This record gives sequence, C-alpha cells and structure tokens, in this order.
Amino acid sequence: MSKIFPNKGIVNRIVVSKGTYAIFKKEIKGFLTSPNFLLVAALTATIMSWVFPNMLRMFDIQAKSAQFGGAQGPSQALNIHYGLFLRHLSYVNLILIFIVPALTMKLFSEEKKLKTFDLLLTSPVTSAQIVTGKLLAALSAVGVVMLVTLLYPISTRTFAEFSWSTLLVAYLGIFLVAAVYTSMDLFCSSLTESGILAYVLAVILNVFIWFIGMGVDVVDSSLARAIFEHISLNQHLSGMVEGTLRTTGLIYFSSLIFLFGFLAERVVESARWR
Amino acid sequence: MIKVTDLKKLYGQQLAVDHISFEIKKGEVVGFLGPNGAGKSTTMKIITGALAPTSGIAQVGGFDVFENPIEVKKKIGYLPETPPVYSDMYVFDFLNYVAQLKGVESQKLKAQVDMALEKTQLTGVKNRLIHNLSKGFRQRVGIAQALVSDPEILILDEPTVGLDPKQVSEIRHLINQLKGYHTIILSTHILPEVEATCERVIIINKGKIVAQDSLAALTKLRSGREKVFLSVRRSEGVFEGLKQLPFVAQVENSKESYQFEVTIQNQETDVDLLARWVLDHSHGLIEIKPVQSNLEEVFLNLTYGQKTEI
Repeated sequence: MSKIFPNKGIVNRIVVSKGTYAIFKKEIKGFLTSPNFLLVAALTATIMSWVFPNMLRMFDIQAKSAQFGGAQGPSQALNIHYGLFLRHLSYVNLILIFIVPALTMKLFSEEKKLKTFDLLLTSPVTSAQIVTGKLLAALSAVGVVMLVTLLYPISTRTFAEFSWSTLLVAYLGIFLVAAVYTSMDLFCSSLTESGILAYVLAVILNVFIWFIGMGVDVVDSSLARAIFEHISLNQHLSGMVEGTLRTTGLIYFSSLIFLFGFLAERVVESARWR
Repeated sequence: MIKVTDLKKLYGQQLAVDHISFEIKKGEVVGFLGPNGAGKSTTMKIITGALAPTSGIAQVGGFDVFENPIEVKKKIGYLPETPPVYSDMYVFDFLNYVAQLKGVESQKLKAQVDMALEKTQLTGVKNRLIHNLSKGFRQRVGIAQALVSDPEILILDEPTVGLDPKQVSEIRHLINQLKGYHTIILSTHILPEVEATCERVIIINKGKIVAQDSLAALTKLRSGREKVFLSVRRSEGVFEGLKQLPFVAQVENSKESYQFEVTIQNQETDVDLLARWVLDHSHGLIEIKPVQSNLEEVFLNLTYGQKTEI
C-alpha cells in the first residue's frame, strides 16, 4: 500500500499544493482576460436571451390552454420544472457541448505548441497537480457561464412561483454534466498540439457521451437496457431535474470526471517518456 | 552536483544519447558543445526531468532525477531552446507565476522577481506584454524565468541563438555575472560562446562524448603545433623558402599569392624566427598573426572529422 501511495494524504498534497494554486490562478486570470472567454459568455447569453422567452411563451400558452380548454397531453408538462426548466437545461446542455471545448481546447495544446509545456514539466509540480490546477480553472470558467444561464430561470421568479431547491439541484446536475465535459475536453486538449483538433475531438466525445444514453431506446434485452440507463448522462440528470439527488448519479458523474482527469494526467506524464 | 552515469536515450529507433557519463561540480560553468542534433538538448532535458532516459542514471545534488523529481526540480532553473513564455502575459505577471510554480515562498516572491528582472535588465519592460517584446527581450525573459527561483543550477539550452551580436554579448556578459552564484550548464554549437563563458567543455557528437576537459587543455590538444597567418609584399620565392625552414612544419598558400598559413612548432619562439627570416630576406612583412579559433579546429576535428571517417 505504501508503495502505491508513497505520500501521506495524497489528495491533500494535490489539491492544496502551491503549484496547483499557481496554475489555477494563472489560468483563471487567462480566462478572465481572454476575449475567447468573454465571447463564449456573450454568445451563451445571446442564445439564451433568444430561446428562453420563446420557451416561456410556449409554456404560457400551454398553461393557458390547460386552464381554459382542459388538459391536453401529460399534466407533467404544466409543472414549470418540466415544462420550462427541463427544456431550458436541455438547451444549456446543447450549448455546453459546443462551448466547453472552446474553453478547454487551449489549456494543454497551446502549452505544447508554444513549448511552455517544458516549463511545467521542469517545475516542481507533479502531473496530477498540473491537471488538477487546469481542471479547477476550467470548471470555474464553465461555472461562470452556467451562472449566466441561471439568470434566466431566476428571472422567471418575478412572475412565477417555484421551488428554489429543485431548481438548484437541477443546476447542480447540469453543472456535473458540464464538469464531465470539462474533464473529457481537457483530456482531448492534452492529446494534441492543435487547438482546433482538440476542439473537434472534444465536441465529438461530448456528443457521443450524451447520445450513448439513446441506447436505452434501441436495445431489447433488459440487461443491456439497465447498463445503458446507468451510463446515460441524461438518465442521471433527469433524476436531478426532478429535485432528487441520488448517490448513484453523483458517483457516476464524479467517476467520469476522475477517469478523464486521470487519463489527462497519464498523457501529461507520458510526455516525459517519448 | 550533477552526476550522469551511462545515460542512454532512444527516440523510437533513433539513438539520441549513447551511454553518456560525466560529472559537474558545484560552481562550475560547463559548456555542452556539439553540432545540431548531437544530443545536447536531450541530455539537458533528462537532467531537468522533462524527459526520461531509456537507461542510465542522472543525479542532481545527490537526488535521483526520477526518484525525487520534485527535489531535483527545485534546484534547477532551465531555459529550453525556445524560451517558454506565454505571449499573452505581462513580463512581471509571468515571472511572478513562474516563481509561484517553482515554490518560492510568498514573502520572498516580490524580492525574487525583482532580482530576476534586475539581473536580466528587464525592469524597464516589466509591465509590457511578452507578445510585444523583441526576440532578444523574450530570450532575456526566458533567462529571467530560469533565475527567478534562485536555483543552485542553471541549465541554458542555446541561450544566444537567433540574437543580434549586441544581444549576444549582453547575454554572455550576463552569464559571466552569474558565475559563482550558480552551477551553470550551457549548450551551444557556437565556439566563441564557450570560449567567452565556460571553464570546462564537454564536446558531444552523435550522442557520444568525444572530449571533456578544461578549455585550456582542449586548445592544446593539437599536439603543440600552432598556425600563423603571414602576409608579405614581395612573394617571389617565399613559399619555397618557408618550406625549407627547420621550424616550419607545413606551409599553405592562401587565395592571394602573398598570403600564407604557416604551421610552426612552437608559437612563442618560432614566430620571432619567422618574422626575422621574412625581414632578413626583405620580402616586406605586412602582417603576421596567430590563426584564431584553435578550439574551432579541435571541435571540427572531433566532430565533423569523425563523420568523414565513418
């Protein structure tokens, strides 16, 4: 055991280390001062400002017609969490699939291209600390974009009653999905010197992991169904949209984040072995 | 301070470093000399821990580079071939970041950054974007980032490449100033650089060490013979006359008929004799001077000379 974990409190060493913090701080500053990040945030806000009022109007029509003409379709649709926020989140997810790679694509590929990667490799930080620092910075940047999208549901509060906690759990869910993308896309960035290639690869992976859940509707055997249900991001997310936190979901999301973080760490470490 | 034993590095099938061993003592300034692709950078990268050797051991300050990478990296400041600078950062911010990354304590942070700025004379541009700096300044920022953690060892990979002559001499001056504070390894394929800065030279060719000695010993490697350049006004009979002199080993006629390269046995006494001979025979002495770049010949013999044999 001591051979596998030579340092006591390895997590502590990774997360609290000065090197991690230095990288985190530098990347955060990089995000906040880069036009790239501002563009992404502005684009998100623009799309949301366009889409959200539309969804709100649709929901309003649905609610009104239910009020006057009797319910058509499932009554679930009249719940604001389903009728509005779920749709909103699916748009947020769609946007995330494309913007998370835009935020993460340069994190490693640019270092490799500019040869600054050597600086990281020759600094007294471990590969795990490098990846942790970058991952945390990317998560914060993604978090800021998520906060932008959270403004829209919040603004609904001015004329509709809903439960805060349910919305927040739903947002925690979509944030975890975003974190899975971030970790995965960071891994893509570590693979290549080209930012564009990293972006394309990341989008493909994001789309793939989202659509893998579609398998639920495709397969017949109950075992295969169960497997697809478990590996479907959508399945885990939809539970959280209802406001229920399940440990299976949390564990699934965090193991995916960890898995890709670990893979990225391996790739960074492997740069020494070429 | 640095001990390398039987180091070998394969890039796929390509042998980049072939069983190299050497030792560098504390406070030494050592030049890695070799043609392009000789394995200088690879060796340096292995010592800094950026690259793992295929086999062999590299030790820095008693620590094995691959068992205690963190300890080793704390001791080393490294300037790679391309200065590792982020063009979208300000000089000061960048050095601050590197200092933090290298684990400089927060109380000392500002002092260390100021020290690095001062030593590399970058104080004037510290609030400028690295993107807007000239190549010479970027190179200096690269040296500053190696210095900022005040490391015991400085490893500089071709620190003057691509700079203009004035910048080159400034960087050499800087390296000379750093002598004594740090153990310095610098690699280059330019000879005057080694002559200007280093005390000891390790010549590498095709991944092997072909010579390692002090600068003085290496220049004497040419079996005591010296070459002088001779230029006269009246050249009739000079070539034949020179050949017959007892202290002249070899005479080469230069492009111009009145210029000769004369190899003599002993520079100190034979130059006088040579000059006297020219004057006595009234050939009209214009110029007599030792042919420079002795090290260059050693270098060429050891590296390119070998190549032709193979």
